[in-house]
Amino acid sequence: MTLIDLLDQAGLTGRGGAAFRTAIKVRAAAEHGATLIVNACDGEIGATKDAWVVENQLDGLLGGARLVAGDHPIRVAAHRGSRAAALLAAAGVDVLEVPARYVSSEESALISLANGGLARPMTKRAPFVAGGRDARGRRIPPTVVLNAETVWRIAQIAEHGPDWFRRQGTALEPGPRLVTLTGAVAAPHVIETAAGARLGDLFGAAGGLLDAGLVWVGGLAGVLIPAPEAARLLWSSTDLASYGGSIGSGVVWALDPAECPVAFVDHMLTYAAGESAGQCGPCMFGLPALAADWHDLAGARSGRAVDAADRLAARVALLPDRGACRYPDGIARFAASAARVLAGHLDQHARGTCPPVRTTRSLVNA
Amino acid sequence: MNELLWYLSRATGIASIVLLTTVLVLGVVTSGRRLPTGERATIVMAMHRWLSLGMVTFLIGHITTAIAETYVSIDWVSFLIPFTSAYARVWVGLGTLAVDILAAVMVTSLLRHRIPERAWRSIHWLSYAMWPLALAHGIALGTSAQPILRGITIACGAAGAAALAWRTTTTYADRDRRRVALAGEWS
Repeated sequence: MTLIDLLDQAGLTGRGGAAFRTAIKVRAAAEHGATLIVNACDGEIGATKDAWVVENQLDGLLGGARLVAGDHPIRVAAHRGSRAAALLAAAGVDVLEVPARYVSSEESALISLANGGLARPMTKRAPFVAGGRDARGRRIPPTVVLNAETVWRIAQIAEHGPDWFRRQGTALEPGPRLVTLTGAVAAPHVIETAAGARLGDLFGAAGGLLDAGLVWVGGLAGVLIPAPEAARLLWSSTDLASYGGSIGSGVVWALDPAECPVAFVDHMLTYAAGESAGQCGPCMFGLPALAADWHDLAGARSGRAVDAADRLAARVALLPDRGACRYPDGIARFAASAARVLAGHLDQHARGTCPPVRTTRSLVNA
Repeated sequence: MNELLWYLSRATGIASIVLLTTVLVLGVVTSGRRLPTGERATIVMAMHRWLSLGMVTFLIGHITTAIAETYVSIDWVSFLIPFTSAYARVWVGLGTLAVDILAAVMVTSLLRHRIPERAWRSIHWLSYAMWPLALAHGIALGTSAQPILRGITIACGAAGAAALAWRTTTTYADRDRRRVALAGEWS
């Protein structure tokens, strides 16, 4: 049985966030003789799982990369100055040093950087696994980008077989996967679990939630969920779909109860607007406008809050499915979820009586 | 007959520079879709295109009459190859250069949907060199003894310069935002 058949049977999907079928990518890479770039950037806010793979499973990572790349050279992308980059360099791996910008670790941005361009996303007229051209018309050779955890899982499937893989997780999202638990938890860290685990149990493994009122699942492209509901919720894209979310790149973040969540979202949307590569209208104008809407919404007695909710709702509907990468889609999803979950809080916030978001129950055993 | 050709050459020349300036101003106004929006943008764009074709008609009239008349000696070769004219070698040459650029701009515009956008754009940028060449050619040669013609040419220069000044000084959200984003760390 070939590697591609094994991956197909195992049902492995990309662990970087997009959850695309890995077998399809690996097959296309073999057909086009594509160069492999392993993405160990942990580009999502709060994510540390790629670094965890580099630190704890480097042999598996490089073994998996060798299975995909064959005799071709392997490059591993990591944020410049990061611990992962240092560990990889020390191990003699060819490191593609990536600026620590949110969109720079997006697949096509890495391909652009690897080919002498800027680490900004490119328009994918067709998947770059077959090669293509950048915006200037320069030729881009066939390149495939796989997340570090995905590559490690490939080595595991080759070693233990697809049946072992499928025994974990759910039928739709099989296999073990890493989750980064961070924010207001007793001990932020990466644990290995599988889709379908209860979020409350995951937090239990991380020493429990520290009175967090809200849980942020999926990072900057993710959704906010009230902690009491989150504790009972199963960590799977099927269950998270009712909140508009998905597993994404596997970050689960407990919001600091000492910080106003409206201000937190404000901070994150402002950051998101600043991370635009400034290439597509919906991103370079839409995201700052979205951040401004939220700022107005949160701004007490400014007078601009009056129609800010309507503006935000209209903007959120306009942003998805446009632009070279899916960045605005994710930010719009986050903003929509924040507006939904924090609707009550926003009203009080605008009146200047920001309520503390605290729960006294132990969420671990909720 | 020769006299008629001479006057025709002046008239078509001045008509050409007026139309060229109009086309330039319309193009500057449209560049980057800054001012006109919606239906108005379509009208401005259509005028830019059709007036430029109209200008070409006058220009062909201007060149053929200038060569055909015999007061001054300009050969057919000077139609396309600059600085070959026996009469006013430099000033006629500037006009020829402008015609060469115009030909390139015209051909690439007609083939715009068949060639890379970047190729079309870089050639189209040459229009900014063509216009002052044509203007200098006009002021130096055709309008010296006629204040009305000279006045029209100078007015064309002023109108074009004003449009260019507006283009370079106005803020432009798209350009500005791209610059700000590009100034960040991307490599």
